[in-house]
Amino acid sequence: MSMSAYYQTRAAHHGVVTSDWLAQSQEAATRAVVTGGQEIVDGGKSGRAFSVIDEFNNWRKQPDLAEAVAAIRALAAVIRNSEAKTMMELEIELKKASDSLKSWDTTSISLTAGCDLFMRYVTRTSALEYEDFNSARSRLIERAEKFGEISYKARKIIAMLSQDFIFDGCTILVHGFSRVVMEVLKMAAQNKKLFRVLCTEGRPDRSGLRLANELAKLDVPVKLLIDSAVAYTMDEVDMVFVGADGVVESGGIINMMGTYQIALVAHSMNKPVYVAAESYKFARLYPLDQKDMGPALRPIDFGVPIPSKVEVETSARDYTPPQYLTLLFTDLGVLTPSVVSDELIQLYL
Amino acid sequence: MPDTQVLVNDFLNKLKKRKIEGSQATARQTAELLRSVISQQRVPYTNQAGALIDAVKAVGEQLIAANPVELAVGNIVRRVLHIIREEDLSLTTAAIGGLNLSAVSDDENDDDRDGDSTLSAAAVAAAARSTLRPPSLQTLLEDTPVSAAVPQTSSSGGDSEGKSKSADKSSRSRKLKHDVIEAVNELIQDIVTCHEQIAEQAVEHIHQNEVILTLGSSRTVLEFLFAAKEKKRSFRVFVAEGAPRYQGHLLAKELVARGLQTTLITDSAVFAMISRVNMVIVGAHAVMANGGVIAPVGMNLVALAAQKHAVPFVVLAGSHKLCPLYPHNPEVLLNELRSPSELLDFGEFSDCMDFGSGSGSPLLHVVNPAFDYVPPKLVSLFITDTGGHNPSYMYRLIADYYSADDLVVQRRATAGN
Repeated sequence: MSMSAYYQTRAAHHGVVTSDWLAQSQEAATRAVVTGGQEIVDGGKSGRAFSVIDEFNNWRKQPDLAEAVAAIRALAAVIRNSEAKTMMELEIELKKASDSLKSWDTTSISLTAGCDLFMRYVTRTSALEYEDFNSARSRLIERAEKFGEISYKARKIIAMLSQDFIFDGCTILVHGFSRVVMEVLKMAAQNKKLFRVLCTEGRPDRSGLRLANELAKLDVPVKLLIDSAVAYTMDEVDMVFVGADGVVESGGIINMMGTYQIALVAHSMNKPVYVAAESYKFARLYPLDQKDMGPALRPIDFGVPIPSKVEVETSARDYTPPQYLTLLFTDLGVLTPSVVSDELIQLYL
Repeated sequence: MPDTQVLVNDFLNKLKKRKIEGSQATARQTAELLRSVISQQRVPYTNQAGALIDAVKAVGEQLIAANPVELAVGNIVRRVLHIIREEDLSLTTAAIGGLNLSAVSDDENDDDRDGDSTLSAAAVAAAARSTLRPPSLQTLLEDTPVSAAVPQTSSSGGDSEGKSKSADKSSRSRKLKHDVIEAVNELIQDIVTCHEQIAEQAVEHIHQNEVILTLGSSRTVLEFLFAAKEKKRSFRVFVAEGAPRYQGHLLAKELVARGLQTTLITDSAVFAMISRVNMVIVGAHAVMANGGVIAPVGMNLVALAAQKHAVPFVVLAGSHKLCPLYPHNPEVLLNELRSPSELLDFGEFSDCMDFGSGSGSPLLHVVNPAFDYVPPKLVSLFITDTGGHNPSYMYRLIADYYSADDLVVQRRATAGN
């Protein structure tokens, strides 16, 4: 059974690790290093082997760092280690590095989106006429490193925008462990808002347990539900808050498995579904159904051995179409799902 | 300055006492007031736009606080702020263009300095343009410090160029105010003529032998229907009376005076009659950024009935009604409770509603909300003075008319913010 590297990292962050998971992850990691080694960005005459994949993995290990930020930092390292003398050469090197990153983990949407965003920025920067190649280069590196700050600020902006929508006495249903949603709830608690959180268990990641822990530390009343209890408790819920792994062109989101289900239930009971996502997660994908995206698999530990004849659905994420979402809170402002494609068009076309 | 203060206080009073009826009148008077504030405002040599923006924000804050439910006030304040920023930007780019030319034409020996200024001028102009637009994916990776460099370059350019520049600058300061006031005049013109512009589109939407339903009385709807009548369309109108103010009665009278076949019904009869209707055309009090509509009470009922019977629900709204805010809990926060006397005759009910008797709290409460919130999914089409739009298109119009910096109208405290 194969496993998506993206979810492998998330599991490592969450500390939810089973023994066979560990074995599989180690196997996957060694496999990645072998293929990554073949994608060495040519350091020119120096002969120094530089792997953008290694660099990326280094950055990605930090639990508070978003995928896209790690990718952009890795690309910044590529620029730093490059011996190109013209913008065109540099762009080609970056394109190669970006492609290798993307092919190493095809399932991570924010990785792809982050790489594309940075490549776009590089192309636009090189279009401006700079006399000095070195100043352009240092500017690119500086902006890439600053991107980490931008990402952190983005979470703050999103938290501020969503404060108005959390009113006193409301009940919020949360699914999955998103750092952005955590920031939103943290800020609401700091602003002395009275609210209650229902969080789903989030099998098989059990992310709900971690979320409940964090919220209990903030003295926010929390109630844990099993995933199947969502429809049962939906009538006492005032709003649903989720993060997103990626926001697609139609305005829908790709998020942890179970989000679509919850959005459907909320929609049928007229409850608003709010998504908190940074703008660098906007991706140029347009899935038409659940199976349209590349599979991201994650083995599930049922606790008892399953006979080999029995198949298991191991997909780790699903797609929620835009008609079930009410509003998206991003660092670009509060958006309705239809604005997302407009933003993407402005950037890419 | 004392002149404008009197005008401002006067207007504030009128807003607080709800003396001004209707968003068009409110919008026009707000724009005229802000125009006098701008023309009276003294502007310093540097950063004139900043001074104007501060002045407008100071007045705007008070106006919005006086009547927060009348969203047209906030809309116009934000429109004027956007106008100031736009005019400043176009003047700056023109000035930088002039600077560019003079730098090139100069035969000075500091060549690399000139090269620098041409480079920074182009980058600065691009950055300035991007600060005007709302934040987008394109500018995500770009520097904000570049925008801070805008006043720097212009002032340093002024220094190096000497006397010719200072004469230029004083004419520029006069030009900014002049341009802004011209643009505000255009805005006032737009507000006043919005009915005609919307009515022009009537022929495209109303066809022969149609049955149109409306609720209450809206001047925009009236002009719209008249325009269709002028173009020789024959149609019938069902008017729901719009309790408790019964303004539908007035509308019915005006329609009959113009020769239109009219039927008057109660609000409760809307569901019964909706199956015979081809299209619902209504006015609005305000349109929110998500496409939701704040409309006279009873409108949600009509919208739901229209959705149930697949009848198009068309909302007519002038662009001064478009609000850049997203509604959270609009039924409570954007609503106003009017006097119970509109519902009940106080003489008859004085015993039930007596606060003086018994426990001090009467058993009979009367709630008379003025507005209703219609969610965007119930609206088929918005017709504004710029044309017909989808509810999900509202964000585009907002990006055209408003700047992202002005969503919260608050004068920044001078002591470090």
